[in-house]
Amino acid sequence: MKAYSIVGRDIPRRDARSKATGSAVYTDDIKLPGMLHGRILRSPVPHARILNIDVSRAAALPGVKCVITGQDTPKIKYGNWRLFPATQDEYPLAVDKVRFVGDEVAAVAAVDRDTAEEALSLIRVDYEELPAVYDVRRAIRKDAPLIHEGSPGNVSVERKIAYGDVRAGFREADYVREDTFTVHPVSHAYLEPCSTVARCDPDGRITLWTSTQTPYIVQCLLASVLGMRENDIRVIKPFVGGGFGGKMELRPWEFCAAFMAKKTGRPVKFVLEREEELVFGRRRHPMRITSKVGFKKDGTLVAKDLKILLDGGAYNAMGPTATFLCGNFGAMLYRYPNYRFYGRHVYTNKPPASAMRGFGAPQSLFAAESQMNMAAEDLGIDPIELRLKNAQVPGDVIPDVATISSCGFVECLREVARMSGWNRKRKTHKPGRGIGVGCYSFISGGVFNWFNTQYPFSAAEVRAFSDGTVHLLTMASDIGQGSDTALAQILAEELGLRMEDIRVTSADTAMTPQADLGSWGSRVTLMAGNAVVQAARQIKEALFGAVSARFNLNVIYDFECKEGRVQARGRPDRGVSFGEAVAMAQKANRGEPVVARGYYTPRNKGLVTPAFSFGAQVAEVSVDRETGLVEVEKIWTAHDCGTVINPTAVEGQLEGSIHMGLGYALSEELRMENGRTLNRTFLDYKMPHAPDMPANESLCVDTYEPEGPMGAKEAGEGLVSPTAPAIAEAVYHATGYRCKDLPITPEKILKGMKK
Amino acid sequence: MTFPKFEYLAPQTLDEAISILEEKGPEVRVMAGGTDLLVKMRQGLLKPRTVVSLKRIQGLDKISFDRKDGLRIGATALLADVASHPSVRSHYPAVAYAASETANVQIRNMGTVAGNLCNAAPSADNAPVLTAMGACVVLAGPRGERCLPLDAFFLGPGLTAMEPSEILTEIRVPFPRRGTGTSYQHLSARGKVDISAVGVGVMLRVEGKTCREAGIILGAVAPTPLRARRTEKLLVGKSLTADLLERAGRSAAAESAPISDVRATASYRRKMVAVLTRRALSEAYERARRNAKKR
Ligand SMILES: Cc1cc2nc3c(=O)[nH]c(=O)nc-3n(C[C@H](O)[C@H](O)[C@H](O)COP(=O)(O)OP(=O)(O)OC[C@H]3O[C@@H](n4cnc5c(N)ncnc54)[C@H](O)[C@@H]3O)c2cc1C
Repeated sequence: MKAYSIVGRDIPRRDARSKATGSAVYTDDIKLPGMLHGRILRSPVPHARILNIDVSRAAALPGVKCVITGQDTPKIKYGNWRLFPATQDEYPLAVDKVRFVGDEVAAVAAVDRDTAEEALSLIRVDYEELPAVYDVRRAIRKDAPLIHEGSPGNVSVERKIAYGDVRAGFREADYVREDTFTVHPVSHAYLEPCSTVARCDPDGRITLWTSTQTPYIVQCLLASVLGMRENDIRVIKPFVGGGFGGKMELRPWEFCAAFMAKKTGRPVKFVLEREEELVFGRRRHPMRITSKVGFKKDGTLVAKDLKILLDGGAYNAMGPTATFLCGNFGAMLYRYPNYRFYGRHVYTNKPPASAMRGFGAPQSLFAAESQMNMAAEDLGIDPIELRLKNAQVPGDVIPDVATISSCGFVECLREVARMSGWNRKRKTHKPGRGIGVGCYSFISGGVFNWFNTQYPFSAAEVRAFSDGTVHLLTMASDIGQGSDTALAQILAEELGLRMEDIRVTSADTAMTPQADLGSWGSRVTLMAGNAVVQAARQIKEALFGAVSARFNLNVIYDFECKEGRVQARGRPDRGVSFGEAVAMAQKANRGEPVVARGYYTPRNKGLVTPAFSFGAQVAEVSVDRETGLVEVEKIWTAHDCGTVINPTAVEGQLEGSIHMGLGYALSEELRMENGRTLNRTFLDYKMPHAPDMPANESLCVDTYEPEGPMGAKEAGEGLVSPTAPAIAEAVYHATGYRCKDLPITPEKILKGMKK
Repeated sequence: MTFPKFEYLAPQTLDEAISILEEKGPEVRVMAGGTDLLVKMRQGLLKPRTVVSLKRIQGLDKISFDRKDGLRIGATALLADVASHPSVRSHYPAVAYAASETANVQIRNMGTVAGNLCNAAPSADNAPVLTAMGACVVLAGPRGERCLPLDAFFLGPGLTAMEPSEILTEIRVPFPRRGTGTSYQHLSARGKVDISAVGVGVMLRVEGKTCREAGIILGAVAPTPLRARRTEKLLVGKSLTADLLERAGRSAAAESAPISDVRATASYRRKMVAVLTRRALSEAYERARRNAKKR
């Protein structure tokens, strides 16, 4: 590993103090003079035509300042896939039809929340109910109710990948198996519910404070649905209490707040209830995954044929990207010489699914990794051995999908086997105890420009001052993952400064340089990090020139920024403090400030991502064979995230991933009945608690990603995927019950053990 | 959901509290820790005009014990206090255990055992053992005090035999006779901190290997905590063999009447009644034998 002085160190998070003391300002903490409180009326039925909406009684309620329905709005559809306008299928408020229980129908702004809430109960909506469909296999049948005109068969997006010759591959195979897996919907369960505050200035411009992962996307889409110019809207992201993929679209309350602020001239706030989040909110896609794989007798993979039906719910949301990515994830980790993928995104009358940590990987890798474990058993090969035999290595090229540069997958497998005592534990089998493995590969941001932005994917502006401080401005959004800290570390490293020398302003579309596509797909560290490095290098050039002139140095000298100084490399005496260098550069330029901008857009990196991370995880469980209760005792992880920028932050991501993966595997499930979600509170929706968490041990294998800033790439999102297949395999090892339909419940285990 | 507006009173004496209840009628609610009450109010399930806190009433949080009167748990004694009280732990280990397994640290530091009973959830973790041990509750009202066995206290989900103007002041648990053992077994299918999907509280009294008395109460598998009477009868007078405990489990399962909900299906609950009853009986039996030897 390269030696750095700030990168790679456990720098405390910039937001730690304000969060720990409660002084951090989240959207709900914002209170503006004259502010109104908004609430949304939602559809109580899964599929219906709206015949009439009568808001007169609500509007007449004292304290109510504004009531709107779809008819009052410009009726412009929106969606994140701007490149393909046909996929933009949502109105901010329903115009003609409602398509799921919870579809937004009307909004009220009133002097307080109670009044707004009461007003909702006074709105009368006449619905003509339509037949509804909840199951993907039914939804694609010819006789199924049509949810959107223009999407026959309820399929909104298809994605196909094919390379090699799959049929020939299977003919060559000695062993072929086909399995169907189903996975369930789960909630992001970010602790800060969606919240937004809009203000309209007298000149008609709008400022929106909103809990989002993607200020720029919100800015652009809000402009389009309001019929305004992008730059007449300013989106500011305050502190955000988690997103996990659930806050990366324009959402109806953001529109309603802005629209009603414009109408009333008063600021409008919306804060969702937890119940709204759980019952109507975005969720991870349930999927039906059919996978056929072929091997040679010796375990060499020869072909894979993967078919996935994504249960998208009523609208596309981020489903198209998930569809796209599932096919890519299906081709990762192992060398499939022949591969075919057919993914369909299917509408159903349920709350829309969308992006959620892993973005298609937790589902497709649950299937792929479980199947790998099943095949290993049938082939009589140890599961880790089988993986080692087929593992991707640096330089592998996957047509249409990837060119892999850094890749420590093989090391991860070896390390995790060593750490967990795999060989010994796998062989000495005790009833009720088991050990299993699961792996992942993940992206470091996307290449495919579905948002059709004309800007670079990430941008950074660096301003250097003669007092030795610098100011970093970036639209990259810290939503709790720590990007403000990581980017400041990268900048401090590059400029030879201390963390306290750096001020960060981030995620304000009117102040920070255009643009940044947001915090999702693990893109920020690599993309915004590269933009920061590029800006910093330009600053350095300016400073080096000034110092070189000052000391009248031979042009062959190289320079460095180190420990607060700018100096000739190896000649500390030929140098000045960083602040002095800035002053000199400014004077040489007749006072012009020392400012630079850096940008990053991935190029020549295929269609998927500039860099892949890898990892392997082992879970050890004990299962009570009478009750079916699973205790995950320990989890070992070895992963390859390139250069580690901040070890504590990576560890935090790992533990958060284990928590989420554990819930996905064992306890979390949005239970549905006729399109209704039954879990109304966190008592009904069961995330793991502290006592449920297993012990864990982890290791980062040493790799360097050439495309990443200082060798870094994705850390912490892909990690959410291996936990479920590892636990599933461990449960199988312990009980003989093989889970193909998540979650793994005690009841399923007991049933499975009988067989 | 918005929080309804209400009047909040915190009287310093029991009499004052009772007269408030009498005066305000059915629109008033008593509050101990508020961990059930306030949640229900916030969800709009309850809309009391007045909330009367018991926390200011002196001495109501007392836990006392002696061999003659047994254990007395005051109405505002916290779950955490009951769980850690030395006498409760040594003489009523299953009572302490049930309190220690209720909810999480934060709730145990606010909520009370009495509140858990008054809330009358079928899944209330503290009800089975206390009922199995023959506990009764002291109810104070405008017409004085009465003592009601827990068996007669629970009427349905959220329903008790308390009059609207009565306050539960104390839980009384008799001192266990020689040769008595108790146990509480519960589980959730979804992790360690959850409302119980099944809970089983057991009290056994033995002479040698023979069962002289049996109390078996099943939680979360009927509208109220359910006494498994046939199973109790099955045990009394018999030698507690492994085979008998196994049969008792099956019998209790047959007596239970569970439903399916987001937590578990009825059929899983029923199976678990068998497993947990057997485990509870076997732990109680162990403790009973140790107890018989001790004195
Ligand atoms: C996150 C969470 C987890 C929980 N987990 C569990 C669990 O695992 N197991 C479990 O059993 N419960 C659980 N509960 C429920 C609750 O915490 C317990 O029932 C607790 O013991 C209630 O006590 P309290 O003092 O807070 O009652 P309160 O909320 O104050 O009162 C509950 C009810 O009883 C009435 N009441 C209270 N005291 C008296 C009195 N002395 N006389 C007359 N009426 C009275 C009130 O009017 C109210 O109707 C949980 C609750 C939450 C919020």
